[in-house]
Parts: sequence; C-alpha cells; structure tokens
Amino acid sequence: MTTPLIGVSKSILKIKELIKHVANTCLNVLITGETGVGKEVVAQNLYAESARSSKNFVKINCAALPETLLESELYGYEKGAFTGAHKKRPGKFQTADKGVLFLDEIGDMPLSLQSKMLHVLQSGEFSPLGSDQDFKTDVWVIAATNHNLEESMKKKLFREDLFYRLNIIKIDIPPLRNRKDDIPFLIEYYFNVYKSEYPDNLGSRPDSETLAKLCNYPWPGNVRQLQNCIKKQMILNSWEKIFEELPKDDLEIPPHMLKENLPNGAPIYLNPDSANHRTSIISEFVDLSTSSDKLFEDISLKKIKKLASDKVEKEVITFVLEKVGWNRSRASKILKISYKTLLYKMNEFMVQPPV
Amino acid sequence: MTGHKKLLIVDDNKDILSTFYEFFNSQGYEVKTAEDGLAALKLLKRKSSHFDCLITDLVMPNISGVGLISIVKKDFPDLRVIAMTGYGDHPGALASEAKADFVFFKPVELSKIEDKICELINQPKIKH
Repeated sequence: MTTPLIGVSKSILKIKELIKHVANTCLNVLITGETGVGKEVVAQNLYAESARSSKNFVKINCAALPETLLESELYGYEKGAFTGAHKKRPGKFQTADKGVLFLDEIGDMPLSLQSKMLHVLQSGEFSPLGSDQDFKTDVWVIAATNHNLEESMKKKLFREDLFYRLNIIKIDIPPLRNRKDDIPFLIEYYFNVYKSEYPDNLGSRPDSETLAKLCNYPWPGNVRQLQNCIKKQMILNSWEKIFEELPKDDLEIPPHMLKENLPNGAPIYLNPDSANHRTSIISEFVDLSTSSDKLFEDISLKKIKKLASDKVEKEVITFVLEKVGWNRSRASKILKISYKTLLYKMNEFMVQPPV
Repeated sequence: MTGHKKLLIVDDNKDILSTFYEFFNSQGYEVKTAEDGLAALKLLKRKSSHFDCLITDLVMPNISGVGLISIVKKDFPDLRVIAMTGYGDHPGALASEAKADFVFFKPVELSKIEDKICELINQPKIKH
C-alpha cells in the first residue's frame, strides 16, 4: 500500500495539488529535499495516481552500488558480457517498462553513467552490457536527491544537460522543522500504523506538553526520525526516554538558528559535539538568544574578529608580562612588537601589574 | 477595438511579469500572468478561459516551462507557445523538443516578442 502524504502545511498541500496535475503527464520529475523528508513517498504517490499504477514501480539507489554494478543493474547484461555473467539478466529499464523507474540518490550517480542515462532519456533506447542490440523502453523516470544539483553542476559533478532533462517537474519537499504544523498529523498517522502492526504494545500518545516538545524539536532526520521515535515509543512507552535518546545538541540550538532553511545535510547536525562546541565559542562574542533578525544584524565577521583577537592578545600579553616580572621592555621584545605598541595595548586592554 | 487577443505570460520573476503585463496591456492585448507552471496550468484549465498565445520562461519552480509546454501542446493544441530562456542552450533545446512555436534567448526586446506573437496568431500589428 502506498504511504499517503501526511500534512496540512501549505507546502504539503501544494505538493499534493501538483501531484494531481502531473501524475498523468509522464514528464520526468526531480524530487529534492533533505534526507528523511519523504522523497520516495512522493514518488510512490505520483505512481499511484498515474495511469501506470498497474505496472511496475522499480526503484534503484544510485549511491548504494559501485559504478559497474549500477550500470549492469540499470541496463542488464547478456550472457558472457563479463566474468560471472553466466546468464542473461534484464536491467531495471526493462523491468520498469510501461511503469515507473525511481532513481533514488541521482546526485551520486558517477559522471560516466550520467551520459548513458542522458542518452536513454533522450532516445528512449538502451542496450544491455555485451549486447549490440538497442531496446526501446517506455519508463516514467522519477529521480530524487538530497544534493543541491545546481551546486553539483557548478563543480562539474553533475551534467547540466541531464539536470535540465530531469528537472521538467521539480518537487521540493521542505524539511520538517519548516512545516511544524504537519508534526501532530504525522504522529497520529504513525501511531495508528504501529498500533495496528503491534496491537499488544501499550505505548501512549503524547500529552499536550510532550506534543509541544515534539513540535519544537528540529528533527534533523526529518519524518523518518520522527517515525522511528514513535516506533520506539510503542515499545518503551516513555516519552522521557525518547527525549533522552534524541541528539541533545539539537534541543539546545536556539530555535531561531533552525528556522532558516539550512542547505541539504547541513553539517551542523553531523557531529553534535562540534556543533555544541561551535555555539559555545560563538556565544562568547555574540548574543545567540536574540531573534534571528537581530542576531544576523549583530553577526559581523569584522567585529567578531576584533573581539576574538583582542581577547587572545590580552591573555598573551598578561602571560608574557607575568613571566618577565612586568618588565615591559623585555616583554615587547618577546612579543615582537614595539615598546610603544605594548604600552598602548596594555592601556587598551586594561592590563596592569598587581598592586 | 473588438476581440482583444488573450495572452498568458508565465515567469517566476515578478519584475519581468509586471513589465510584460504593462507593455502588452498597452498594446491592446488582454493579459493574464502566472508565477509558475502550476499556476499557469490552473488558469489554462479553467473552463471559461481561452488564450491565444502563451509566453513562458523555462526554468521555474514546480512545473518548468518545458513541462508546461509539453502539457499544453497535448491538451490545447491550438494554443501558440513562445518560450524565453536565460539559462543557456539546454532548456531552449528542450523547449523546441517540446514543440514550442518559438524560443527566445534573453535578453530580448519586447517589440520582437510582439512581432512574433502577431506572426503566430495571424494578428496584424496594432499601430499607434
């Protein structure tokens, strides 16, 4: 059964509307969004609403397979095409004929295979490995990626012509933290799913306080992470434990930092420790608890640079002066600055010998 | 003047939309605008609406210009279509493949677009 697209946010309603309008066009679709937002769910909904729903929905993950294997999976091979090809095997383009081919993680497809993909999309023809025969294929191609392909094109990692050919219909799914209105509906949906899957489990629904907490969590892993939490709740039946196990750091990042649509896979989440360390350093020079507008006004690299270097300079000057018994002339030589500069800096940083 | 010709102009850049709107409106056309392919498609699908010519940008959110042209050429075969692109050759080539009647590469003079519209819908150019 197809997982429905759950949500009441403007962006989800618009995606639902778009699906209705394009499901029967068979135009190439590119679905973008962070990991866990539901790109495959959108692909399946497109398929379910299309006239192809009685045919195959074939999925291939372009990031999970090594290059040569990906090629033979996509196009198939003839017997004897390579060592180990004991018998002929059809590729995904063949099994998806008249149906849908879902190319997940297309942004990770090696360049060498991108040109072959472009050829198939242009001509509707392909030839299996080891075959000199061309086969016609009628597949509806839906591709998905969490990469910013515009950036990948600039870095020459993704072919421009392939991008424009895939990008005929573009569906961008915003991260869950940017559509908090959907969270209660997703919780209710997955609660019912797991309740029917494990009827003996006693996991309770969140009370209003817990629900508010769940809605305010930034969900770096998006819907998939939320789904896993609800599954866990069915077994643990303790929201307290669930919150304990959620990456702490994300709870501590000021909410205004998360409101902005961070780029795909924003590294701020990759290592909770480093993110924590980072915010603690920054907070020494900028007040992070203000609104994002005010914060962005306050953040000036020039200003922060001055504050940070002053802070370190003051410590170093005091350190050296203490070592040389407050002999300023010696200290200036060690610090490799003029005597005058040292006096000026001592005055500026209010560095004084102990009384 | 009777029987104003109706244009649908699609671009995700509001400034371009308003410039086009004002120009073609002043030339005596009835002009509707849309900011992306989906909005344009919804306008086209309205029962009461009839357009003579569609002028669309190519790189846009949700339904791209190429997507819009492909759909329009199937569902409204009489509608004339002019594509405009500022993104190099690829989108333009795809628009031609989708059977756009003409493809302009930006920047393009509005009067040139008007000449092309007149040519496509068999309308003598309005003299001022």
